Amino acid sequence: MSQKPKIKMAVYWGAACGGCCVSVLDVHEKLLDVVAAADLVFWPIALDFKYKDVEAMDDDYIDLTLYNGAIRNSENEHIAKLLRKKTKILVAYGSCAHMGGIPGLGNFSDRKGIFDRAYQTSESTVNEEKTRPQTETKMPEGTLTLPEFYNDVKTLDQVVDVDYYLPGCPPQTERLVEVFMAIVTGAELPPKGSVVGALEKTLCDECEREKTDEKVIKEFKRPWEIEDDGKTCFLEQGVICMGPATRGGCGARCIKGNAPCRGCYGPPSTATDPGAKMMSAIATMIDSDDPEEIEKIIDQVVDPAGTFYRFSLPSSIIRKTIV
Amino acid sequence: MEFEPKIVSFLCNWCSYTGADLAGTSRMKYASNIRVVRVMCSGRVDPTFVLKSFREGADGVLICGCHPGDCHYHEGNYKCLRRYHFLKKYMAQMGLNPDRLKLAWISASEGKEFAQLADEMAETIKSLGPCKVKEEMEIFD
Amino acid sequence: MEEKRIGVYVCWCGTNIAKMVDVEAVAAKIAKLPNVVIAKDYKYMCSDPGQEMIVKDIKEHKLNRVVVSACSPRIHELTFRKALENAGLNQYMFEMANIREQVSWVHDNREEATIKALDLVKGAVNRVNFHEALDKRSVDINPATMVIGGGVTGLSAALELADAGNKVYLVEKTGNLGGHVANIDLTFPGLNSAAEVLEPLIYKVNNHPEVEVYLNTTIDEVFGYVGNFESTIKSGGKEYELKFGNIIVATGLTPFDPGKISSYNYEKLPDVITSLELEKMLKEGNVVKKDGSEPKKIAIIHCVGSRNADYHEYCSRVCCLSALKFSNQLRSALPETNLFQIYADMRAFGKGCEEFYASTSKKDVMFLMYDQQGDLPRISKAEEDAGYEMGIEFYEKLSGEDIIVPADMVVLMVAMEAHEEAKEVAHAVGISLCGNEFYIERHPKLDPVATTTDGVYIAGTCQGPKDIPDSVSQAKAAAARILASIARGTVEVEVTTAVVNEDVCCGCQTCIKVCPYTAISFDEEKNVSVVNEILCKGCGTCGSACPTGAIRARHFTDEQILSQIEGLFSKEMQEV
Repeated sequence: MSQKPKIKMAVYWGAACGGCCVSVLDVHEKLLDVVAAADLVFWPIALDFKYKDVEAMDDDYIDLTLYNGAIRNSENEHIAKLLRKKTKILVAYGSCAHMGGIPGLGNFSDRKGIFDRAYQTSESTVNEEKTRPQTETKMPEGTLTLPEFYNDVKTLDQVVDVDYYLPGCPPQTERLVEVFMAIVTGAELPPKGSVVGALEKTLCDECEREKTDEKVIKEFKRPWEIEDDGKTCFLEQGVICMGPATRGGCGARCIKGNAPCRGCYGPPSTATDPGAKMMSAIATMIDSDDPEEIEKIIDQVVDPAGTFYRFSLPSSIIRKTIV
Repeated sequence: MEFEPKIVSFLCNWCSYTGADLAGTSRMKYASNIRVVRVMCSGRVDPTFVLKSFREGADGVLICGCHPGDCHYHEGNYKCLRRYHFLKKYMAQMGLNPDRLKLAWISASEGKEFAQLADEMAETIKSLGPCKVKEEMEIFD
Repeated sequence: MEEKRIGVYVCWCGTNIAKMVDVEAVAAKIAKLPNVVIAKDYKYMCSDPGQEMIVKDIKEHKLNRVVVSACSPRIHELTFRKALENAGLNQYMFEMANIREQVSWVHDNREEATIKALDLVKGAVNRVNFHEALDKRSVDINPATMVIGGGVTGLSAALELADAGNKVYLVEKTGNLGGHVANIDLTFPGLNSAAEVLEPLIYKVNNHPEVEVYLNTTIDEVFGYVGNFESTIKSGGKEYELKFGNIIVATGLTPFDPGKISSYNYEKLPDVITSLELEKMLKEGNVVKKDGSEPKKIAIIHCVGSRNADYHEYCSRVCCLSALKFSNQLRSALPETNLFQIYADMRAFGKGCEEFYASTSKKDVMFLMYDQQGDLPRISKAEEDAGYEMGIEFYEKLSGEDIIVPADMVVLMVAMEAHEEAKEVAHAVGISLCGNEFYIERHPKLDPVATTTDGVYIAGTCQGPKDIPDSVSQAKAAAARILASIARGTVEVEVTTAVVNEDVCCGCQTCIKVCPYTAISFDEEKNVSVVNEILCKGCGTCGSACPTGAIRARHFTDEQILSQIEGLFSKEMQEV
């Protein structure tokens, strides 16, 4: 590795599960290379830095920030904006920052619906006083504050300008290393706004299952309903697989584990709305011209919105349920 | 002022668009809420177009194709039919009243039927009121 | 990237558009849209000065995109595309907004119509921003023609083409040439023998070196495009592969089944017969009742299945004259027989026809008028001792009385319907039907024998009811259109086909079964789908089925349509 000055790097999580941070740790022994090339100046999950440390930094002090997680509350947004200000290259890291991800499914409801469920109607909850989280609570010792829980989940680029997107739930560590190395070695970077660490071709291109043009569906099946031979294209077995509408680059991990693709790597640049594209493709495969039969077949897909927009709801055209 | 909905209508070139033209050459009067987007075949109507229409501010979307069995491209209208049913189910999930989307078959000679359809659709959408998708989708509250 | 410079032209169409749409306001507002360099309104955009204005502006203002807001693109899109070409601009850099057929002619509130027109033009302007230059593909015309239908129309067309030295494949479903005219005794108004018209045609066709006749033949599917069609036909148990450049469809008619009208008791009363059955009797020179005796009273009922909302609203155009012809023939054959014409309206247009009506009415024929809007005449068996077989009961409009006309024989002038297999043929060759199953022409006035499918023409009664002269005229018109294209030798075909972006296509093969023309195949080596642009007809269905967005439907791309939708709702100048 060249003896370039070390870059300064931050990793932050918004509304996320922590898996993205783990994927950074998954560099294993390469972590030494990372540390050799970069100073980690902010990474709440691993190192003890405070927000005030970041606030004290000069603008553009950080060379690279991997922001994972969606924007669920005012804290997520506040730190996203703070890091944007302090960072030269801001990467939306992982499905949640990229497209909303699993937390984005919260957009099937709103703040009230989620609070009611979480703090009232869930089976294990007793809350007779109907207490709900408040952004401010007056106590004798002073006022306690909590971040504001937003009505909907947003993607990172819906609140700040994003330089690159590195998709995946979580991103493949190998891809991260490639991107990281490109940045530290000063390689020519793709145009701003590009998706990096993923292929332009979708998953079928790297999926090893045998594909034919026999994509006709008379009955949708759940993965457990088929006797999978491990070789035949899931779609040709009636199982919805998001592979055709999802960027490759993940190494087809789910498929290799005999599970259909769920779409975490997001759409190629040519697909405006990945869910709509996949819905269109899947609908086209339905083997019937009779409206009633078509409806019956479609009824077997219990949750089309959740299926086709599992990771991408907040970034899609209809980005949340109209309550 | 009375609510005047905007309805985006995707018409296939061979049957429905010609049918809509016939309503014109026959000087039939119908509600002015329809905004036509011509496609070669109803099979070209990507669900993306429908969702985009709502997102941009449409209160309703009307797709018209050739009658079953009469598609200029043999079976594009069936592809459209399947996507339409999927879209309806998806719309219901998203809190978007599926009645805001309609698929109808209009042949090249059905100018009268097109005019009636345009009026009916306008009435349906008026009774449903303005579609809130555009304002709801705004990123900032 | 090249700067986008758009010219927008809003047509008045005389007062057709201007009286309902504030064309000046539309042009003034559109002028302020991004990339719009010039926006004008003009009385008749399709006129020579109108087109010249576009050409001049393209050159003067360096326009590279044009929007014309006028009539339907189905009428003048090609006209304006040509104007672009004349100015050296690729013809696909053009978009039309239909503010006549779909705005000014269908709305009666000027403000609403103007708002709608403005929206449509905004959509068109937005869309044209994303248009891309496409090359027209020029293909050679195969001088052979397939003529479908061996009636008087098909025969006339075949001869016209063959006499000019071109190969004709004449395909006939039945075992005989001649069609319905072969069953006719005399033609109106001249009362000449139909055989004199037909026999020479059949003889010439059968002996013409350039005509191949296929009888008892069916066509399942025609592949290809204008200039280069091909089809496998089945004829007498054998299959033939034919290649041809153009098609004339002349599938003719099917007579209306009068059994559908219960009050006529067709096939229940023995001597209620159709006009075709009478033709046969006349041809055989033997007009007799079923029991072999001579009818003393013959009534002819008009408009059986025609001009009636329950059956066909259209007029079948030949029945009135045929009925008059029958009166003449019957008067000569059976001088003593009483003849009644029970008609709804007498329609005797056409050369020599009104004169024919006048002369027939002097030949001791009783004309009675029934009410087409009211109850249809009812034919019942007469009393045993009535002295006639049947009574026809109806309200006679001229006298204003309910009457019963006695008859021994009733002739039903049955309507013309489109051929019962018109639909199958339409599918095979890719043309459309009107609601009443007749084929639809490209333009009812300006292009009545062409269809919306290039290289496929229609002639004769398959297009709508008509008599022999009109059928033959259409046959020759269609043949003339084809001869013109053969003389040119090449034809430009649309290139608005689908195309696969190989950098994106993942090889999922979703698209392959989607294509009704098997135009998409799979390249195993590259692991991508490939569109055969010759077979592709540009429906764009594969573009919507493609989950990756790798397939682009040229000239109807996602971004073009999405931007058009955006344009319809763009905030600019929503108020008029």
